[in-house]
This record gives sequence, C-alpha cells and structure tokens, in this order.
Amino acid sequence: MAAVIGSEVHHLKADVAVIGGGTAGLNTAIAAAEAGADVLVVDKAHIVRSGAIAGGIDHFFAYLESGEPWDTRDAYLAYVAKVARGASNLRIHEKVFCEELTAAMARTERMGVSLRQQDGSYLRTQALGQPGPYAINFDGKFLKPKMAMEVKRKHCRILNRVQVSNLYLHQGEIAGFAGYDMRSGDFYAIEAKAVVIATGNTNRMFKTQTGNPFNLWYCPANTGDLHRAAFDVGAELANVEYVRLTIVPKGMSAPGFNAFFGMGGKLVNGLGQEFMNAYHPMGDKAPRNVMVWGALQEVRAGRGPIYVDVRHLKAADLEHLFSMLGIDKDTLPEFLRAKGYNREGTMIEMTVSEPMQARPSELCGSGIKIDETCASNISGLFAAGDASDQMGCLHMCMAGGFAAGKHAARYAAKLAHHRPLQANALEEERKRVFAPLLRNTGIAPGEFEGIVRIIATDHFGPYKSEVSLTSAIAKLDALDQYRDQLRAGNLHELMRCHEAVNIHAVAKIVAHAALARKESRFVPYHYRSDYPETNEDWCGLVVVRRDGENGVATRFERLHYDA
Amino acid sequence: MPAVIDKARCNGCELCVLYCPLDVLAMEDGVAVVRYPDECWHCGACRQDCALDAVTFEFSPVMLAI
Repeated sequence: MAAVIGSEVHHLKADVAVIGGGTAGLNTAIAAAEAGADVLVVDKAHIVRSGAIAGGIDHFFAYLESGEPWDTRDAYLAYVAKVARGASNLRIHEKVFCEELTAAMARTERMGVSLRQQDGSYLRTQALGQPGPYAINFDGKFLKPKMAMEVKRKHCRILNRVQVSNLYLHQGEIAGFAGYDMRSGDFYAIEAKAVVIATGNTNRMFKTQTGNPFNLWYCPANTGDLHRAAFDVGAELANVEYVRLTIVPKGMSAPGFNAFFGMGGKLVNGLGQEFMNAYHPMGDKAPRNVMVWGALQEVRAGRGPIYVDVRHLKAADLEHLFSMLGIDKDTLPEFLRAKGYNREGTMIEMTVSEPMQARPSELCGSGIKIDETCASNISGLFAAGDASDQMGCLHMCMAGGFAAGKHAARYAAKLAHHRPLQANALEEERKRVFAPLLRNTGIAPGEFEGIVRIIATDHFGPYKSEVSLTSAIAKLDALDQYRDQLRAGNLHELMRCHEAVNIHAVAKIVAHAALARKESRFVPYHYRSDYPETNEDWCGLVVVRRDGENGVATRFERLHYDA
Repeated sequence: MPAVIDKARCNGCELCVLYCPLDVLAMEDGVAVVRYPDECWHCGACRQDCALDAVTFEFSPVMLAI
C-alpha cells in the first residue's frame, strides 16, 4: 500500500489560492471570486464543517450606530484601543473590520443566516469589557454550511482533506505550495498568483483538563500548519507570544463564556463568594484575560473550585442561555445534563481552560503579520482570520476575510504569469511528506506531540520567565532529533505526524517571542514572573521571523493610540 | 467514548464521514464507524448532518467524573 501512496501527482493553477476553509477563508474565497479571480480553496477537513464554527456559532460582535453613545465606530475603536492595547493596530482594524462590517452583516443575512430575532430586532448582550452590548446573539447553527454553499455558487474550486505541507517562493515572491490528500494519498503541486492563509491558531500545544488533547475550547484541527510554513519561507509573525485561556465547564472545554457572562452569570468561589469585583470594576463583565486571572488567583489562594452561578436569572433568560450554549457547542447542554445540572440551577462548576497559542483579545489575531491590505511581508502572501496577527473571532473573520479576498484578487490580476515551482523541490517534498509511512519502526505522533505539550505547559503555559523560556527552547530544540523518526501506519496518522511537527515548530516560535517581550501584558496571557508589570515601552508588537536555519529573530514595532 | 453510531440505523450515506472536521469517522462494511474516538471534538457536526438520528454522544468517564 505504502508504495502506491504519493505516486499520483496533481498540478493545479489558480489566481487566488485560499489555504484554510473556515470562516475567514470562505469569506476570502467569496470576495476573490466576486472580484473575478479564479479561486481554489484548500482545506484539511471539509469546508461544510471545518474550523472553529464547524458545529455552530452564537454571537457576532458589532456596533450598530443605534444612537447610543457606546454604539458608534469611534466608541468601538476606543474599546479596541483599551482592551487590545499593544496588540491591535487600529489603522488595520478600521480597514479590515470597520469598513467591511456593514457588508459582512448583509452578506451573512443574504446567505440565509439571520442575525436578528424572529420579531426583526437584534438581541444584544454585554461582556468582555465592552462599554455596551456589542454581542449580537443569533442562531449560527448553519452558518458554516451556508457559507460553503455560497463558495460553491461562486464557482470556486475546492480541495477538501488536503493538508498543505509547504509554501514556495520564486525570487522572494510567492509561487505556490505543496500538499497531500489525507484520504487518497495523492500529492498536489499548486501554483497561485496570490496565496491567502486562513488556518486559524495553534491548538494541542498545552495539557488539557481531562488529559485528552482533543478536548478543547477551539478546533483541535488547527495545528499551526501554515504558521510554520509561512515562517519557514520568511514571513513575519506577530502577537504569537500570547498564551490564551478562558473559563470552561469542568470536564468539557467548550465555548460558552460569552453566553454565560453576557446573560448575567456570576463567578463564585468555593466559599460561595462572588469575587470578580475584587479584580476589575466591571466584575463579571471584565475582559476575558482578567476573568481568567481572577479565577486563577482564587484557586491559588485555596478558594477553589470556581462555579458560574445563574440561579438568579429569570426563567426566560435561563432558557435563552441554554439554547445559546447548544448553538455554539452542540453537545454542551447534554453534557451539562449528564453532569446533573438543570436549568433551575445548581451552580455549574467551571475551570480555567487549556492554554492555546492565540490572540490575546477578541479584537486582534495572532500569527502572520498583515498590513491594511491583509498582505504579509512576502509579495503575494496574504493572511486572514485567526491565522493573521490582526483578526480573530467571528465578526472579524467575516469582515476581514472578505477584505483579504479583495486584496488578493487585486494583486493576482496584476500578474501576467504564475511564478514557477521547482520540480526538484517538489520531488524532495513528496518524499519528505510520505516518509513517515515508510518507516517500520519509530515514534508515534501522539507521543512526540505529548512531549511538546509537557514542555510548553511546564515552561510557558502560561507563566514564564527568562529561565523557563530559555530552557524550554533548549528542550524543544533537543526534540528536533526525533522529528525524522515519526512513524505513520496510515494516512490519518500521517496527518497527525505533520501536525505534531508543526505544533513543535510553533511552540519554539512562541517561546522566542515570549522571551523577547520583557514585560507582562494581558495577564495571564503574557505573564513574565521576572517582569510582572505592564510597561508602556512595550506597547506594540513583538515581530518574529526566521533567522538562518534554526534561529528566530525578533524586532519590536510600536503601536500608537490616542489615549 | 464520544460520538457513537447506531449501526442498525445507519444507511451508509457517508455524510458524517465526509464532513467530520477531525477525520475520526470512517466507513466499514457499508456503515459509518468511529475509528478514532479519542480524537473527537464533540462538535456534533456528524449528528447534525445525520438524517436518521443514528448518532448519539456518550461522554467519557473522565469528563463526567472530575
């Protein structure tokens, strides 16, 4: 069997190739197709059900210019400046979100998913440090399949179950990429005038509450595949030092934070005391990182476990809350029932989630550094959604994904010819990609990945210092020797092998970036015990790029805010 | 054990195998099986796309016990 796998090679060309068919990637594809580009979408899973909202989504952040003082573009940007200070570039935020917001909401409705309640009104809730209720609650159960239908209607070509393994440049500019089909074993060489990366953040890098690395808040299929590949060809990354956490139900890492606290849930400690007011003037409506910090401090002080108390909510609000929980995470309501909770309400035990490589706020991203046109520092390479350093969360992925598609199509239209891929490089890549299938002995991907998780969690998940980070880098570097011993028994395990290697590579980048930022910010997302205070001198981006064969170079880019 | 497929109800339409974001499902003898139960994200995509209610969820002991 192994001798046949990889022998079938497909050569494809596209004007715009989108890698990652989640929310951002599909909006990119729609925009590029509307601009007249020949579009190819490549997804490691299947675009009908891939990415963070595979099972559903329940809220969309927006300002609506309703006349309320908090409901304007300026008020919204002031909120971004406050809670994402030092991570969000407001100039880019205006271009990729504010200027695309109205069209993104209209597009969502046009695709057949209403952001409104049955009576035509918006149901909006407030949490996460917002000055007013920015979270539109809606039923996004079918948003992902509907977006996939729209992409098909726009005649985009789609490659499902293809994992991209490497990007290629020609004279320093993007030429295309290689990948393989993890169901058939076919190999792909794809030339594209413009490439947009929309592959989300990096998960499975840290230990989880149950010990199962797939029991995660965010999608476990997001493994930094293209963070690593883009870094390898010289793309700059930013906001990657942050280690994001949230508060999840004990036993199941699931979204629900915004629903619980937006509807008025309160965090309570093991003594039955509400405690968030001691950590932030907004109490249980504080920014996410502050909520996590408060929960961690209560547990550390011996006042755990923590609970969310919803017993004071009205019956109708409780009913809405539990329906929203199921829209965002399909299986969460029945999990809570299986644990013995009911709507009338025992308090629900919560815990701080697994750490993840991701944005420090809902209002920026973590990954490939983009400018106002969603372009990276490499000509022809763009990024969108959580995979970029400036976008994240549904609202920005819908809006900014579309912006990326417009700019990529415009770029591609200016190129007369595709840049060539080198045949010898592709042949070398084909051998590298399938090599784990040919090994009779070796290390299982889960074992290798598990070692990365232990190192990352012990050294920077999330607390860190110069000593912990320096030794983490040494340990992760020493792990390099095992990469060439990974063994796959089939194509599914082959995908897991490449994911494990990518998680390992991104973990190193995270540690280097965290070492460079000599302050603490968005505590505990970047908490340096040797520099525990936030320092205005570090109000900006730590930008990382590859330096030589194994090195990581960092530079600092200041961000400016009016206040 | 996360997603569980009732073989008696499954008609082999393959939609769940086609769509599963984590590639944990596969076809065996004309019906869908959960080949990698430990890699399930519990997203429920398979159940939402099943017309015959052949998919249910069972939560592992650790999820319910801790």
